[in-house]
Amino acid sequence: MNRLKAFLRRAAVPALSVVTALLVGAIVIVLTDFEALAEIGSDPARALFWVETVNGKTVISGALGGVVNAYGAMLSGAFGDPGRIITALQTGKERDIATAIRPLTETLVATMPLIFTGLAVAISFRAGMFNIGGGGQLMIGALGATITAIMLAGQVPSPVILIAALTVATLAGGFWGFIPGFLKARTGAHEVITTIMLNYIAALVVFFALRSPTLRAAGSTSPVSKNLSPIVDVPNIINLPNIRLDYGFVVALLMAVAVSWLLFRTTKGFELRASGFNLTAARYAGMSAGGSMMLAMALSGALAGMGGGFMVIGTVGQLTLDLSGSIGFTAIALALLAGLRPSGVVMAALLFGALTNGGKLMGVQSGIPFDLLVFIMALVIMFVAAPGLIRSIWRVKVAKPAPEIAAVTPTGAPTV
Amino acid sequence: MTAAAVAVPATGEGLAARRALRDARIRGVAFAVLGVIAVYLATSSFAIPASFSLWIQQQGGDSAVLQTTVGTLWVVAAVGSAIVAALQLIRGAAFRWRPWLFVVIAPWLLALLANLLSGKPAILTNVIAGSLELATPIAMAALAGILSERSGMLNIALEGKMLIGAFTASVVSSLVYITTGNVLLATIVGVAAAMAAAGLTGLLLAWLGIRHKVDQIIAGTVINIGAIGITNFIFLRVLQHNTEFNSPPSVEPMRLPLLADLPVIGPILFSAKPYVYVGYILVIFLTYMIYRTRWGLRLRASGEKPAAAGTVGINVLAIRYRAIFFAGLISGLAGSYLSLATAGSFQMEMTAGKGFIGLAAMIFGAWHPIGAFFAALVFGFADAVQSLLSILGVGVAPQLLASVPYVVTIVVVAGVVGRVRGPASAGQPYEQG
Repeated sequence: MNRLKAFLRRAAVPALSVVTALLVGAIVIVLTDFEALAEIGSDPARALFWVETVNGKTVISGALGGVVNAYGAMLSGAFGDPGRIITALQTGKERDIATAIRPLTETLVATMPLIFTGLAVAISFRAGMFNIGGGGQLMIGALGATITAIMLAGQVPSPVILIAALTVATLAGGFWGFIPGFLKARTGAHEVITTIMLNYIAALVVFFALRSPTLRAAGSTSPVSKNLSPIVDVPNIINLPNIRLDYGFVVALLMAVAVSWLLFRTTKGFELRASGFNLTAARYAGMSAGGSMMLAMALSGALAGMGGGFMVIGTVGQLTLDLSGSIGFTAIALALLAGLRPSGVVMAALLFGALTNGGKLMGVQSGIPFDLLVFIMALVIMFVAAPGLIRSIWRVKVAKPAPEIAAVTPTGAPTV
Repeated sequence: MTAAAVAVPATGEGLAARRALRDARIRGVAFAVLGVIAVYLATSSFAIPASFSLWIQQQGGDSAVLQTTVGTLWVVAAVGSAIVAALQLIRGAAFRWRPWLFVVIAPWLLALLANLLSGKPAILTNVIAGSLELATPIAMAALAGILSERSGMLNIALEGKMLIGAFTASVVSSLVYITTGNVLLATIVGVAAAMAAAGLTGLLLAWLGIRHKVDQIIAGTVINIGAIGITNFIFLRVLQHNTEFNSPPSVEPMRLPLLADLPVIGPILFSAKPYVYVGYILVIFLTYMIYRTRWGLRLRASGEKPAAAGTVGINVLAIRYRAIFFAGLISGLAGSYLSLATAGSFQMEMTAGKGFIGLAAMIFGAWHPIGAFFAALVFGFADAVQSLLSILGVGVAPQLLASVPYVVTIVVVAGVVGRVRGPASAGQPYEQG
């Protein structure tokens, strides 16, 4: 009972942060619905919330109605229709089941890279490194996997390609993460600036690489790579048509366990956390703070790169310029939401995976651009980092901010 | 080795001095290496002609043409590098190398440009004036960064504030233009709105950092991500279908009377868009304010040693709030430049890292407005050359050229050129009793 209480207490700020951010998002939806708001003088009910039946279908309109539509679409996009899933399971038709559970599996598909990048952010933050280059590291990993797969195509059996591509992706991402770690340790260059710059450079490198006819899809004028699924594909968990949930998700979960073990059960992990918590004390205790920084950033990049690898040879199947999308930002939000705990990262990634996947349907069905979610994620980060705001908005007593969040502020950090 | 150790006792001060000497030597060798590379490049390029022309009075009028070879330019670059390398190695740590950098960088960049052009003629006036224009938003971002960091607040959020400024300027200016039809009024109101919006965003940043003690890096990241989210959202939801809300009157170049008539210099410095002049004024004004006024002294005290400043009765937190607000105003101005004077409308994520490049210019310029301005000029030059080369179709992949400013930013932030010390307390929260 007490443990439950402690958990609820700890979960209060993250949960309220997400709720508040979604509420602010709703306000933004209302305020930007000019067409509906224009009628507020003549017909306030129709302008705000209006339900009517058109051709036997219930249609909700108005500015507030727009919020219901948007978030409703997000929900059904993320979780599907429970009634439909049950009927489909009863009939037992493969195609029906696939269509019914597709939203759920797509949520897990969207969750997979978020677990990888969320863990990447968590591990670097734990070491006091604010790695916001997850997106770039993911892209470079994906590029490495793509090049490996295309180079090895037809020369070795596909399981070998699979392992080789993932290894290269992990190493490439690790290298991309190592650069800012090395620069910070050796010269004090702030990782926020270097990782952001490396994000831009990664995008340009991928763009440049996709100019090459070896990588680019045959006959395509836009920069997309060849389809990799005929060459190599991560095996699926459920064998149903149109379901692309594969074992990458399982590996992501295993990685969460591995990161948890590394951080909390090994000496290296202790050193990482120590140098994130208090650099000076860690140095005084004889730990190599610079080494910890480089290691944390390399591991961080490796995780993100592996996630990118699983995307191109698994769920997505090809390298595109917008492969990373908003994953880099989302990873920061969810890692902070999770209090930088690997188990929390998995839960938060599921939540944000649902939002991301649902956000796509929201965009299609209610015309609310996906970028609303990027704004909501910024708000989530803000509320988690400033629990005082949540306290004053909801008039609740909340637990002190987790020490892990405080640890993100390295003492004696060099100036930017 | 032992002699040096005896001469310089290993106290904190001695350690710093030794490190400074080592850095000075590394710098001297680096300059010398640049010289050697220039000589090497010169040997193979005497056959390639280089032709640069400068407008004397105005665009399209008479021009002065500099006709030489790429090899000659490389020789000049080599001589420049050699002189600075020699001075650096002889005078050691006492050498004030930063201004001398100009003697190395300017001929080097000119020779490099000529080499890349490989015989094609170029109009130097346009390249330099273009560099100035492209440098202006970066310089303004750097000035905003200097203001906040001098007060003790890290300002990662410049990028987001510029984006909000660019967005607000475009929308407000379009709306005013639709209702009044007055170009000047629309531009002024648009710019003012952009400054106000970014200033308020700055206050949010300061409030999070000071009142809630949110880590200043996280607070800045919140603003950067939030700015992308909200501007993309409104762009896609509203502006995309109502393009009239995103069609501001564009800001045109303005010839300054008398000054624009100066031969050669006039077309380069004084026939630009008004933003460039505002940039000049801001650089001079802020230099004066930071180094010559009581306010500036207090600002620097808050950033260096807030506890000491607080002890003598300075309201450190008020100074920080105000500095961040002013920084917001300037970054809003910089943002409005992007949408009103370059692109002609707001585009999604149009800042493309300019805020961060501004931070790099700030560091490269050693937190001094004038230094930051010249550093921004180097980035502007890189941009100008990139567009010139892609127009002329010189055979370098555009993606590689486009990545140059980002790579340079990393190099600068890493302090490869020379480490400088920023305000001592930037980024640390201050508890006021």
